[in-house]
Amino acid sequence: MATATASPSSAGVPVGPGLSMFDPIFIGIDEFGQPVYITLAYRNLLAGGEPGGGKSGLLNCIAAHAALSVDSRLVLLDGKLVELGQWEDSADAFIGPDITAALDVLRRLQVVMNNRYAWLRAHNRRKVTALDGLSVITVLVDEIAFYSATVGSKQEEFVALLRDLVARGRAAGIPVVAATQRPSFDIIPTSLRDLFGYRAAFRCTTPNSSNIVLGHGWAEQGYSATDIAPTNQGAAYLIAEGGIPRRIKVAYLSDSQIAGIADYAAWIRRPGTITTPPSSPADWGMAA
Amino acid sequence: MSKSSPRRPFGGRSNGTVTVIEARVHRSSARNARLAFVMTAVIVGLLAAVVAASYMHPILALFVGIGVGVPLGGIVWVLVRIWPVIRLLWWWTPEIGLAGLLLVGWVQLASHTPTLVTLLVVALVVGVPAGVPVIRRQIMAWGWCLVVRHRLRVCFAQFIIANQSGSLPLILWATPTPVGERVWVYLRPGLSVKDLEGRLDKIAVTCHASTVLIERASDGNAAYVRFDIKRREVLTANVGSPLVDVIDPATPTVEQAPPVVPTALDLPDVQAPTITLPKQQGTSGSKPAKPAATAAANGSKPAAASSSVPDDDVSDWI
Repeated sequence: MATATASPSSAGVPVGPGLSMFDPIFIGIDEFGQPVYITLAYRNLLAGGEPGGGKSGLLNCIAAHAALSVDSRLVLLDGKLVELGQWEDSADAFIGPDITAALDVLRRLQVVMNNRYAWLRAHNRRKVTALDGLSVITVLVDEIAFYSATVGSKQEEFVALLRDLVARGRAAGIPVVAATQRPSFDIIPTSLRDLFGYRAAFRCTTPNSSNIVLGHGWAEQGYSATDIAPTNQGAAYLIAEGGIPRRIKVAYLSDSQIAGIADYAAWIRRPGTITTPPSSPADWGMAA
Repeated sequence: MSKSSPRRPFGGRSNGTVTVIEARVHRSSARNARLAFVMTAVIVGLLAAVVAASYMHPILALFVGIGVGVPLGGIVWVLVRIWPVIRLLWWWTPEIGLAGLLLVGWVQLASHTPTLVTLLVVALVVGVPAGVPVIRRQIMAWGWCLVVRHRLRVCFAQFIIANQSGSLPLILWATPTPVGERVWVYLRPGLSVKDLEGRLDKIAVTCHASTVLIERASDGNAAYVRFDIKRREVLTANVGSPLVDVIDPATPTVEQAPPVVPTALDLPDVQAPTITLPKQQGTSGSKPAKPAATAAANGSKPAAASSSVPDDDVSDWI
């Protein structure tokens, strides 16, 4: 595992921190002060809530972990350009408010997914694991409403492609994380929304909105994101492994912290360093 | 009852029903006591008689059996009869114990030490927990645990009608949590988690809390539930990410192409036709990454477009 030929400084060449997308991702703490982790490699996450609630904080947490993971590729779709824009150099694709480019990258992902399933089929396997040496392609979509309901005449195609990714991408190592303010049926079709296994509801204005994000009936059981104070940004209800909403506070990364992590990630991801992910942690040690 | 019936046609009837149930509960208590007396007396008496028969004449053994069974039955009758009082004492056991301990401690202290030492000890025992915030909060949290168990029982007794015999759920232990308290409860027949979920707001009010959540505490037993009582919002501080510590700040940065900085950042810089609907659909297909270029290219268009609108209007009118 000889490292890059293009390292200008011989002293203190940084090495990837050895994170993996198959590791649990730290996203914050819960009400008992315990850290909250989610394992995203085989899951899809939908985040909803009113503007300024902290959805981007959650997306940035996941993006930071994915950018620092050696076995991960990032595909970013951001209708607002700025929420995920700092990760552009670490990402394999960064799409702004451009639905044609978004469709192109989704089609590419679909081809990759099909190829991976053919590969798995040839090996008599059912899902990608950490030992396969395949990268996890994390698809982060912020402001999904922009692509699926706002622009152009290609919304149906976007929704269809994304639904295919969400439905089939799980075992092929292509998790999708989507964020929007209110994922009601006119923004995302219910058939797409209900495929997301993990939900994060940031502050909502009505119990109905909270139910739309978390799933039907949670507000009646007392899990309503309306009781989050408007000033308490980053507080959310998360449905993940436990199956019951947990009140969490999402870890916050400031702009300068994101810039630092993004620079570092861009450096360890520069062309020529990581072509294929190392197969064992020992290799990372040798690389150091 | 006759006074309440004219006020509401069905009020009298429902009042009557309630009274009947209460009377039945009352009667059932007496009947239970009687039944317990008879059962205990008969069973214990027979057993005692059978055992005694191996030592003496059966008729004498029968008398022995009566002599043993009747007093025991009497004891059981008294226990069942005063069961509501015993239950009350049991509910307040921690408080009674604490109060007794305090009283005994105070009396012992006052009678065995001089006044100055007594005051000093009291000042220490009261002052240190009151002065050290950690201890104070812990004691307050434990105090709330005691309070909240009573309040939950009030909920069940006052407005959550469980069953005809009026048996209350078993309120088990409570522990403090950062947001409030967590109480484990074993439900009796007649209640379910669904029933309780409809009354969360009333339970919260009764417990002097903000919100209450109910979860099943056991996968195998639906009667075993957990109340999460929330009276504080703790998730207000910022949470940092450990990934910040992972990176090396002395990392050289990858050289990047300088980003394109768009112009036309204010409303007058963008002409009207660029934001009409058909235009947007046309441009959304191509890359809209250069708003400056589109604004510049459209610079001449809006004049024509805006001038064409009045023309249309005029022709319509003519």
